[in-house]
Amino acid sequence: MNDSSLHPLAQDYLKRLKKAAASLPRARRKELIEEIEAHLSEALPAAAGETEALNVLERLGKPAEIVAEASTGQAPARAGVNERLAIPLLLIGGVIVPVLGWFVGVVLLWSSRIWTLRDKLIGTLVVPGGLAAAVFLFLVPAGTRTCSGGSGTRRNPATGKLVRFSESNCPSYSTLHVTLVIIAAILLVMLPILTSIYLSRRATRAEIAA
Amino acid sequence: MIEYCVLALLQGGERYGFELVRTLSEVPGMVTSEGTLYPLLSRLRRAGVVETSWRESPSGPPRRYYRLTSSGRAVLEAFSGEWASFRDAVDHFLNQEKAA
Repeated sequence: MNDSSLHPLAQDYLKRLKKAAASLPRARRKELIEEIEAHLSEALPAAAGETEALNVLERLGKPAEIVAEASTGQAPARAGVNERLAIPLLLIGGVIVPVLGWFVGVVLLWSSRIWTLRDKLIGTLVVPGGLAAAVFLFLVPAGTRTCSGGSGTRRNPATGKLVRFSESNCPSYSTLHVTLVIIAAILLVMLPILTSIYLSRRATRAEIAA
Repeated sequence: MIEYCVLALLQGGERYGFELVRTLSEVPGMVTSEGTLYPLLSRLRRAGVVETSWRESPSGPPRRYYRLTSSGRAVLEAFSGEWASFRDAVDHFLNQEKAA
């Protein structure tokens, strides 16, 4: 940009800002100086009087103040690879690699600075194992459980007559029992998903506040 | 709080930096110095709630325009709801104090 189009006081201000911003990472420093330079060229015509120039600079604030604001969150709480991995691992890690997959998610969750203690407790306890809890408690037993039994006729040894029989070793469930199991299964599926949504929202919010 | 005001200002469409900064600083009590808003805009961009593009200006150097991303829209929507219930809760206690 062409410095000569700026008011002399604005040029002087930019020089002081560049010096104050020396501690910022290069990209952030460049962006800040570009923005302030654009601001000055809009707010302060090159031919403006000294009083007007001083007013514009006063509204803008001291260079040190602006640089201090740009330095907050310099080691920012940004969602990195760890955070992006933690959420899916907590949810389905335990399904892919039982126990260990989920556990790695927990370690990533607790080592992140982006979530608060409360977030971490929710992430760990709702529900331990993530979706694996639902998968291993309900899907796997339902698939592998077989019951043997049958029906037919056999001779009653005492009377010598044929009698009908039917038997099974499957446990019989009451309607209440079945309902409770279905509710528990739905909760075990829904809660880990809701927790994932919650954690990713909290991560976005922490980034904005950083 | 100012972060959310920036997002709210962008609801109506994109604006360039100077325009945003002037609009915010003209509301009394909102901003102490205009310059500190630029680092804030940069943070919002890095968080992915706004995105920017350079555009020619009819006068002077090119301008950096800011607009909401879909994630910014979602964040703003969530905040609006929370803000309304927070405001009601504070009002509740303030009015109680008056009545006592």
